[in-house]
Amino acid sequence: MIASTSQKVKEGKLVKVEVEYDGIIRRIKITGDFFLHPEDVLDRIEESMIGLGKDASIDTIASIIQGIAQAHDAQMIGIGPESLASVIRETLK
Amino acid sequence: MKWRIVRPEVHDAYMNMAIDEAVSEGIMDGSSPPTIRFYIWKPCAVSIGYFQGIRDEVNLDVCRELGVDCIRRWTGGGAVYHDYEGELTYSVIAPASMFPKNIIESYRLICGWIIRGLEHIGITAEFRPINDILVDNKKISGSAQTRRRGVLLQHGTLLYGLDLRIMFSVLNVSRQKISDKMIHSAEERVTCILKHCDVDKTAVCGALIEAFACGASKTNTENKEHEFGTWSEREIMRARELAEKKYKTDEWTYLR
Repeated sequence: MIASTSQKVKEGKLVKVEVEYDGIIRRIKITGDFFLHPEDVLDRIEESMIGLGKDASIDTIASIIQGIAQAHDAQMIGIGPESLASVIRETLK
Repeated sequence: MKWRIVRPEVHDAYMNMAIDEAVSEGIMDGSSPPTIRFYIWKPCAVSIGYFQGIRDEVNLDVCRELGVDCIRRWTGGGAVYHDYEGELTYSVIAPASMFPKNIIESYRLICGWIIRGLEHIGITAEFRPINDILVDNKKISGSAQTRRRGVLLQHGTLLYGLDLRIMFSVLNVSRQKISDKMIHSAEERVTCILKHCDVDKTAVCGALIEAFACGASKTNTENKEHEFGTWSEREIMRARELAEKKYKTDEWTYLR
């Protein structure tokens, strides 16, 4: 199925997540007015979500995002690993 | 190496964004100086943040009808309507080492230059993190920053006049929804220079140039001077190339 959620996160910016999933995530698109640089780190984050079980916890999703952000020395402004994970989790319900 | 200040120019959306990127590349390889530029957009245009879905944000049919260009920025942030008459845009492109490492502090620093420029024309404004400047609690300016390979790029908009009806017709709100109520509510959240001060655009540009030049001279750098300049042949050639091969392409515009 395909689901989407739009949420203004606690860091202040709007995040929209669109997910196609069955038992696992098949496709995911994250959009919004947040800042993340280097910008292409968002592609890495999206790729890392593919294949993840639809019941993955916020903590699991957040730690994957955090790991990628750290590996690329990325800065997230107006959004954070936990709040992005929470919007993804919400979309998978 | 001095700061270079480029006085207000008029370009289309593609060249405007391509110049920012060409200069960023020039700073990366040491061929361009730290640069402050001011510009307006002709034709009028909508720019969207790097991470935004263009179909979510922009009414592409209305843009086509009105001849308004649509462009995806290299920076994050939200959608902006760049009106030829009613808006002024700036960019600051420099080695990131010249600015605070903390992103919010660097926004605060550069937005401080805009606030000082507004002060010169008698408008009291304040910085509201993350990236906004407010007058009487209403947004008058928004900025977007990115850092790549040691280069800081911050560009932002300053509203001079305001045509909310056009703004909301191009920024994906259906025409039926542009009710008086919505216009009224937006007027409570957004403002522009002409609502506070009867001043022509040239005077606003002058005030901003003075404030940015003064602000830049006080940033953390050994080179505290500035001079007025223009683009090198290399920068303009590269910008033309980026405009054609990147910013005008559907692949870039419809990236998300």
